Amino acid sequence: MKITKKIVTKIEGEATLKLYKKDFLIEFAEIEFWQYRGMEEYLKNRAYMDACVINPRICGICGHSHLIATSKAIENALDIKIGNKAKILREITLGLEIIQNHIKWFYLTLYPSVKEINYFKALEFSKEISKIIALIAGQFPHNSYAIPGGVTCDLTNLEIIKVKNSLSKMFDRYQEIMSVDGKSLDLEELFSDIPKSIGKSLNRFLILGNNLYFKSNGNAEFVKEEDSISLNKNVLYKDKFYEVGPLARNLENDLIKKVYEKYQDSIYTRIFARLYEVNLIFEYLLKIVDEMDINEKNYIKPIKKNGKGIGVIEAPRGSLIHKIEIEDEKIKSYNIIVPTQFNLSNGTKDKLSPAQASLIGEYEQQSDLIFKCFDICAVCVSH
Amino acid sequence: MHSKPKVFWIDAVGCNGCSHSFFNYGEIKELLDKIELLYHPLLPSKEFKVQRSDILIIEGALKTTYFPRLDFNLVDLIFELIKLSKKVIVVGTCSVYGGIFGEGVLFNKKKEGKFFEFKEKMIALPGCPPHPEWIAYVIEMLIENKNILMDKENRPKEIYSYTSHMGCIRNEYFEWKIDVLEFGTKEGCLFYDQGCQGPFTHSSCNRILWNEINSKPRAGTPCFGCTEKEFPKKNLFKTETFMGIPANIPLGVGKRAYLTIAGIAKSLKNERLSKRLINEDN
Amino acid sequence: MSKEEKKLEIMKTALNLFAKNGFYTTTIADIAKEMGMSVGNMYNYFHSKESLAKELLIYTSKIFGDEIRKINDMNISSKEKIKKIVELYFNMAKEEPELVDYFMRVYLSNKEIFSNGCEGMLCVSAFVTEIMIFFEEGVRKKELKNQDFFAAFGLFMGYIGGLAFLFREGILGKDLDEYIKPVSENIYNALKA
Ligand code: SF4
Ligand code: SF4
Repeated sequence: MKITKKIVTKIEGEATLKLYKKDFLIEFAEIEFWQYRGMEEYLKNRAYMDACVINPRICGICGHSHLIATSKAIENALDIKIGNKAKILREITLGLEIIQNHIKWFYLTLYPSVKEINYFKALEFSKEISKIIALIAGQFPHNSYAIPGGVTCDLTNLEIIKVKNSLSKMFDRYQEIMSVDGKSLDLEELFSDIPKSIGKSLNRFLILGNNLYFKSNGNAEFVKEEDSISLNKNVLYKDKFYEVGPLARNLENDLIKKVYEKYQDSIYTRIFARLYEVNLIFEYLLKIVDEMDINEKNYIKPIKKNGKGIGVIEAPRGSLIHKIEIEDEKIKSYNIIVPTQFNLSNGTKDKLSPAQASLIGEYEQQSDLIFKCFDICAVCVSH
Repeated sequence: MHSKPKVFWIDAVGCNGCSHSFFNYGEIKELLDKIELLYHPLLPSKEFKVQRSDILIIEGALKTTYFPRLDFNLVDLIFELIKLSKKVIVVGTCSVYGGIFGEGVLFNKKKEGKFFEFKEKMIALPGCPPHPEWIAYVIEMLIENKNILMDKENRPKEIYSYTSHMGCIRNEYFEWKIDVLEFGTKEGCLFYDQGCQGPFTHSSCNRILWNEINSKPRAGTPCFGCTEKEFPKKNLFKTETFMGIPANIPLGVGKRAYLTIAGIAKSLKNERLSKRLINEDN
Repeated sequence: MSKEEKKLEIMKTALNLFAKNGFYTTTIADIAKEMGMSVGNMYNYFHSKESLAKELLIYTSKIFGDEIRKINDMNISSKEKIKKIVELYFNMAKEEPELVDYFMRVYLSNKEIFSNGCEGMLCVSAFVTEIMIFFEEGVRKKELKNQDFFAAFGLFMGYIGGLAFLFREGILGKDLDEYIKPVSENIYNALKA
């Protein structure tokens, strides 16, 4: 058996992939992340509101998801119900974060590992998306506008009209990347000389968040962390590994289902689902933006000072869980479980994680691409 | 024609937010066309190796819980890269002061940092994240070999002479000492209760605006002083007060002068600003 | 005598009359008479009793403010500063009872007549600012407890103002001086960190 160590770069952060091979094919894989930042410890004893500033800094590309999960966890702990307007605004900014993530992932992370591409159109696109987030939330990255009890902003119809028109414009522009009927020139070009059916995985999917149009198929209560060979922890659901993310949460969609039936949970389906999800999010946001009542209160002040809570959402890469324990308005304990932990756990040969399973039986040359299809966030993992 | 300056962008311990902030720079293509990008953690570039550069950009803090890379530990790796570079842009609060994640490269919070001896060739761009225009500005100035006017902490004066309070749409409320009673209102200034650090935070973000359109205080979120050495302080949504008097007052005025002015402004009520800005019966 | 000096003299005379006959019953004519001036001439200095009252307030507030500022600038502990402020106030109460009386009673109990141009803390800002600085520095140095400004202000001023009142009413058995130590200790104990 031959073992090679590969450094995977151009993802969010870096990781090492240790491949065990036999006859050129991968037999087993181990994944190592390089750093540990100690965020959970850092939060301890701080005012719980501080988590709304610190947690977005877990990640530069999906920090807004961490903010929303934080506020949800605190709201759950302190029995706060937020208004409908605040809820819709959060859906919009979170949905947009997912969109900018997917675009950057496709053109900056994935594509260049296969062939050259003009990635500036992706940056231009995500810049415009970030601008819509900023219009509501103040800035992107790293805003803190979604706080326990609602949102800090107080929009007028001028902003709402701009948000709406910008959404339509960007949805329209996205059709060149992936159309609503599932056509994508860039995607087909990417696969011009790669087989579409490689990288099949566990075929076991989990959705825990209920935000946007997603419907959960499980309960975060059954999620457990365990130590692993890497600095990060493994994550299991009812003692099994599950794939989370755009493929998992979009199998209800007819088009994605059709691709899935043809290629199963291969890299092509995984990429297709991620790119197509953008369309579904745009459609959903354009629907809810009209359901906002501008006169509704933006914020309701929390009263309780103690409690335990959990915040679960579907973030760009899948299910994200934040748990908090608050004592006298201070953080007693904090726990973060990120989507990449689900997908990239280090299992054993007879109990593989989704990423490990997807590599088995494939050529080493394809490992980078297969691996990156999970849209790895090493930054989040090393929280 | 001169060859393009070689730029090496290294990520230490952080969140990649500086890079993602930079990606929002409108003319990023035009800017990148003027340089040779040796390495960047996300943008397509060549293989990672320790090499000479004209401009080294360091994002992220120094921390020991970090695996060796190319057999260097993080501090040694940064050391090698700094030695081999002509100019260093220390990007982001992590890298300048330490921020959330560790020690800074130039400073360690208020003290001198591990690589303070290289201050001469460093330009500091604190901010969590720094504004894309700031990063682009420094790169452009270096490309064009222009003199960047800097303060004592090596921050460009054209950026950090401003406070984030300058340009805020809540300035009128600040003038008349009208506070925000609750989050989520367009009225009021966030300085008195909600913890806004705008009047003593060095930053031009509220002047040039984030994403060309907005800013935290404009969106009702207090300024957290993300460009400052002690970021993030504790209790970020609450103004620190001593006997009800703000512990930190606007830069450049004495406490006595500030309290006098504040007392007068508060006594002379501004009727228009004391009401809801937009209401049905006025 | 310059105009400013004359104004000062009128104000002092007014203070005396206010103290003796009460603020409301004292008229501009009474003051003019006491000064040996015509009412018409008085008009050159003060247009009304209200404007005289206002300037008087600014004047007394400034006297107090200047003195407390000297104490604030001293390099001593908050405990010692409290004692110095109490001492200052009690000495004034003895030496210039009209002034203290006016400041404490006329201003605080007749706030409505100061509503025009003297809103809020406007005319007493010199005094209040110094008290604020004293409190703020005490908390910053961790010598005083961090609490609401008015809770601390009321405790301090209400207490010493009350004693000065009892003294003037002749109710205190002992001399005011003898109260400096226990009163400042009580204040310190109530405010300390
Ligand atoms: S909210 Fe902050 S930045 Fe805006 S005016 Fe008030 S103090 Fe200044
Ligand atoms: S408003 Fe303050 S915290 Fe926000 S970006 Fe500007 S300097 Fe940083």
